[in-house]
Amino acid sequence: TPTPSAASGTPTPPSRRLLGSAFLQEFRNWETPWAMEAMHMVALEIRLLAEKADRELVMSGKNPDKLQAAGSFLMKVFGALAVKGPKRVGALYVTCQLFKIYFRLGTVNLCRSVIRSIETARNFDFEDFPVKDKVTYMYYTGRLEVFNENFLVADQKLTYALMHCNPQSESNLRKILKFLIPVKLSIGVLPRRTLLEKYNLLEYADIVTSLRRGDLRLLKQALDRHEDQLLKCGVYLVLEKLELQVYRRLVKKIHIIQREKEPSKAHQIKLEVLVKTLQWLGITMDVDEVECIMACLIYKNLIKGYFAHKSKVLVLSKQDPFPKLNGKPV
Amino acid sequence: MPCCCFLPLASLSHLLQVRPEDVLEKALHMVETSEKNYLYKCDQLKSIRQDLTVQRIQNELTVKVYETHARFALQAGDLSEYNQCQSQLTRLYGEGIAGCHLEFSAYNLLCVMLHSNNKRDLLSSMASLSKEARLDETVKHALAVHSAVSSGNYVMFFKLYKKAPGLNSCLMDLYVERMRFEAIKCMSKSYRPTVPVRYVTRVLGFTRVDVLCEANVADGLEECEEWLKAHGAVLTVDENSGELQIDTKVSSASLYMPEPDNAVSHGDASLAVDDFLARAS
Repeated sequence: TPTPSAASGTPTPPSRRLLGSAFLQEFRNWETPWAMEAMHMVALEIRLLAEKADRELVMSGKNPDKLQAAGSFLMKVFGALAVKGPKRVGALYVTCQLFKIYFRLGTVNLCRSVIRSIETARNFDFEDFPVKDKVTYMYYTGRLEVFNENFLVADQKLTYALMHCNPQSESNLRKILKFLIPVKLSIGVLPRRTLLEKYNLLEYADIVTSLRRGDLRLLKQALDRHEDQLLKCGVYLVLEKLELQVYRRLVKKIHIIQREKEPSKAHQIKLEVLVKTLQWLGITMDVDEVECIMACLIYKNLIKGYFAHKSKVLVLSKQDPFPKLNGKPV
Repeated sequence: MPCCCFLPLASLSHLLQVRPEDVLEKALHMVETSEKNYLYKCDQLKSIRQDLTVQRIQNELTVKVYETHARFALQAGDLSEYNQCQSQLTRLYGEGIAGCHLEFSAYNLLCVMLHSNNKRDLLSSMASLSKEARLDETVKHALAVHSAVSSGNYVMFFKLYKKAPGLNSCLMDLYVERMRFEAIKCMSKSYRPTVPVRYVTRVLGFTRVDVLCEANVADGLEECEEWLKAHGAVLTVDENSGELQIDTKVSSASLYMPEPDNAVSHGDASLAVDDFLARAS
């Protein structure tokens, strides 16, 4: 089979695809899945070639449509595998190839139909699939849940991927952690710095520090500095929402200091104290805004208590005023 | 000068009346300075757009036409027409044709964040902002609105609403009701025992811009009180000051979002169908 070459200008995925189609035709007819590995190889190569082809098309100013076409072909392959019988264990691999294509193209909404087939069809028993495919599958579906802000489900899936991932594969572990860490942060679980260093995820270091310290300015700086990267991998919006947790930490610190100075009155925090503290941290917010933030913290169960508008005092509950997030997202 | 009505392209007589570019430029100017209502302008602009499309004119004039139409649509609350124009503009700017691309970046951003629930679209709109765009005042304002909405900061939202540049306020308009309802739910849960209506009037944007005028403040108070009652808030009068208050604990159980009874498809309730039929030629 001819291989694509930059010299010839146009790569030859069409011929590759004809080969693929021919193979698929025969594969359907064979009863046993003896050629599964070969089928997978075909699927993988089609995707990689299509990606390369699209890159070359873009460079020569043409419309990159090869990857999309590869996606259509792989859906047919999936169809051939989503049948009763031994062939079905190969379906998850193809599903993952499809995920890679859809994520690359940005058409992640197309993932929905394959996910539905895998998760609801009676043909599949998830436990039957090979581990490496399950890890990849959980990684991608976990990422989708991050987009939908279903943090508890995202946590489950990404943690599964982390637990079952080959411990030697540092780059895969890093990929999973890149998405798992923001999810964990959203539910109040902070990673140790050693973890961030080990997997080279230091873009999260300042964010974690800002949560520990209650330092809003640091959070904003960190988001600004890594904005492009965080937007591109899609975790920016999730991290932005950590703002309220940072405020909460600040209020908690004030509470702790007040408790040391005057324990009987510690549960009452004057609004002016909050405004002054923020000013001292370099953040200018007027009283209305600070009051609003306090109201939001109470509303979202980050703080237990109430705000007395007339006396401008935040009154904390005497029991457990800063309830643990306990895995529940804000 | 012939004034074309918007007719299906199949009409041959229409094809014979397609106007050349310089005439279209004058027609655009006439629409811009016309005193007639939105439906009339919309009709005229669609006709200009069609004449441009038929002649395959894709230049700065085309951009100006879509920008003008988009702005009128925003002012009238016609989100679907605005979206049509925005997608054409995105395409034309992408081909390098000059126009107010920064202004429309901001509108696009606001539209995605306030009127669609699609996080991916929001992420890619934000990611595609150039360095230049991030320094533009209208875009910065839109990003600040995003920040406020993201953390539920209603005080910030209404502050930004009051001093919105360009037509940002028109896009925010369609989200005001929702933001106010979220705010009142938040306040009902977190304030005890009461919160003054005067305070709510101020922070939820019920007061007119000129707060030094007592009449404006009074109007705002009345509007706010009506709004609160329409959403199930329970009001009491403070014994000492005689001021109207929201009883937050009771209200938190009785708040609701009423059915919009004067919803119109193009958003401007003052434009009735009869108006369209009676338009002057």
